[in-house]
Amino acid sequence: MNQQELNEKIVEVEDKLIAIEQRPGNRIFLLCEAESSYTINRFLFEDVQARFVIATGIDSDDCFEVLYHYSYDQTGCVITINTYIRDRDNPSIESIAPFLPAAEWIEREIHDLLGIDFPNHPDMRRLILSDDWPDDVYPLRKDAEKPTKRPDGDPVSRPIEQTQSPARRTIQLSKPIIAVGPLHPLQEEMEFFQLAVDGEIVTDIDMRISYNHRGIEKITESLQFDQVPFLVSRICGICSASHPLAYVRAVEEIAGITPPERALYVRTIINELERIHSHVLWFGLAGHFIGYDTVFMWAWKYREPVLDLLEEITGNRNNYGNVKVGGCREDIPNELKPRILKDMDEIERKMDMLIKAVLDDPILHARLKGVGILTKLDAIRYAVTGPTARASGLPIDVRRDDPYAAYADLNWNVITQPEGDVFAKAVVRLLETLESIKMIRQAVKRLPDGPIAVEVREIPPGEGCGRAEAPRGETFHYVRSDGSNRPVRHKIRAPSYVNVPSFKASCIGERIPDVTITLAAVDPCYSCTERLAVADENSKITHDYEALLQLSRDKTDRIREEIGSQHLKPEDS
Amino acid sequence: MSWRIRALKKSPWVFHVNTGACNNCDIEIVDLLTPRFDVERFGIKLVGSPRHADALLVTGAVTAQAAPRLREIYRQTPKPCVVFAIGACACDKGIFHSGYHIVGPVDKIIREIDPNAIIAYVPGCPPKPEAMISGVVKALSAL
Repeated sequence: MNQQELNEKIVEVEDKLIAIEQRPGNRIFLLCEAESSYTINRFLFEDVQARFVIATGIDSDDCFEVLYHYSYDQTGCVITINTYIRDRDNPSIESIAPFLPAAEWIEREIHDLLGIDFPNHPDMRRLILSDDWPDDVYPLRKDAEKPTKRPDGDPVSRPIEQTQSPARRTIQLSKPIIAVGPLHPLQEEMEFFQLAVDGEIVTDIDMRISYNHRGIEKITESLQFDQVPFLVSRICGICSASHPLAYVRAVEEIAGITPPERALYVRTIINELERIHSHVLWFGLAGHFIGYDTVFMWAWKYREPVLDLLEEITGNRNNYGNVKVGGCREDIPNELKPRILKDMDEIERKMDMLIKAVLDDPILHARLKGVGILTKLDAIRYAVTGPTARASGLPIDVRRDDPYAAYADLNWNVITQPEGDVFAKAVVRLLETLESIKMIRQAVKRLPDGPIAVEVREIPPGEGCGRAEAPRGETFHYVRSDGSNRPVRHKIRAPSYVNVPSFKASCIGERIPDVTITLAAVDPCYSCTERLAVADENSKITHDYEALLQLSRDKTDRIREEIGSQHLKPEDS
Repeated sequence: MSWRIRALKKSPWVFHVNTGACNNCDIEIVDLLTPRFDVERFGIKLVGSPRHADALLVTGAVTAQAAPRLREIYRQTPKPCVVFAIGACACDKGIFHSGYHIVGPVDKIIREIDPNAIIAYVPGCPPKPEAMISGVVKALSAL
């Protein structure tokens, strides 16, 4: 469908809506009452075939609002269903999770943070707040106060079991459970996975997050528009260029600001440098998990020049803090251009070597092909984004679908693979690194002269949706302004939020030694594997993390012997 | 100087605890192990269990859900041990100081169960790998 047909299609449900609003920047807002929300969501997902992005719960003055954001990738249009829940005392809206598993987490989150009920939700346990959070405190309500009352007993003597509320578990303990987490010694977030296993085969998976919940959406409401980029760049250290960019785009959409052209190119270069360092980082860790520690060390060594470049441009190896509303903070000095081009040549040479080593290695083929398959249908149902979606044959990429920064001016390709297995995800990431190098070269050569920022005085009332393609997928920010100098609501959707639940589709049916790499393939938290422990019915640990990592490595060794091949030896530069 | 402290300073094995950080400090910690910095040269090794560790590298402002786990890990670590609060968040909650889900900082949580804990602070957002090495060296020479 093109945009014209999409608009005509949406008119079909006009009688259930209060209004249809077309807004600049290819945004459509559908206003409706809570009662018709289910029908319209179903219509958008099944008839229009839009991709679910996220939902935003808002505490307005006289009602609650739930906004469902969809993306129509063929035309780069963001469709938002703005529903009003008028009953403030018992807010409730029908769950859309039964036909859309991607919405399961966000409905649980809105329930936690705003106290809105979702009838018919399949699994309404606590998601985002801690186990000892009081039941009747909803932090995102405007009248909420930070709870001072904690459960009885001092924290020192309270045994850890008491802090694990009923929110914790549903998997039936009739089968052995593998607990993954919550703490991983290597790095990344705390997350807690439980895998139910039948012999060697994983039959169910359950996740508990919250360990990393810092309440950023509430903190932004107390910051000025110009301060928020510093906070959102600290959502995730590895996406610290894409989050501020998505936020800044949302605010620029509200205020109708167009940044100068040079700023757009600087943004592009920083974002692509970030993508290279993130993909190479992932590749090294993936090597570590299947027993190729050489790849780990080599990949991380090749990543250092990228960090040096970022430090040279922005002043920091991570957390660049370089975008602001209306442009950029730091310019790329013209003297630096030759060095960037030279470093790109160097990195490209190293990447070529790594890619050859992967694509030609029979062991990696045997170890990664056909493992952890996420089918195209599941990819749509779980609304995954980024390399996870592109490796399942979904050609979606915000950089092309809803172009921002200077991406529309550059010549590059969206890399897709049809298989959906771990190997495909590795290939997509490796080839994307080459595309990024290509883009940086073009952007540096074409870098226009001129200022890097325009002056911004006031942010008018309004709402905006900003998107950016982070290394892991689409980052989505929704900002609402009431004309003051602070956002009244700022919703953030990081790509892993939709990619992680897809483990339900990709891990079930896998063998235990393959789960480590399947979990890592989505690039949410490679270190999930680091605290793996297999427990029998009495929760006695039978396999610890080391043993499981060993299982994974043994499998690689076994295949290596069968093939009769040697260890991978990348040639030194 | 007790023999325990002397033994600790020889080759400190460290365990990494993320209590709600943004991963920046965490990837910089892992960066220490890779070829450019390679702290294993000095006998500093990242281990997979707190029971093997001489030092804890704690990052993040400590969320409500992570706090009990941090206490449990500190209990499991053999004493004497050094707790390193890595990064602005771990030192003083940093940019997340007003968050409703934050109960930190790290020293407050650790001192609740051990008022005499040895805590070293490495500020920065994130601290550069060189800063972390320098922090470890300073802390060990002060012991």
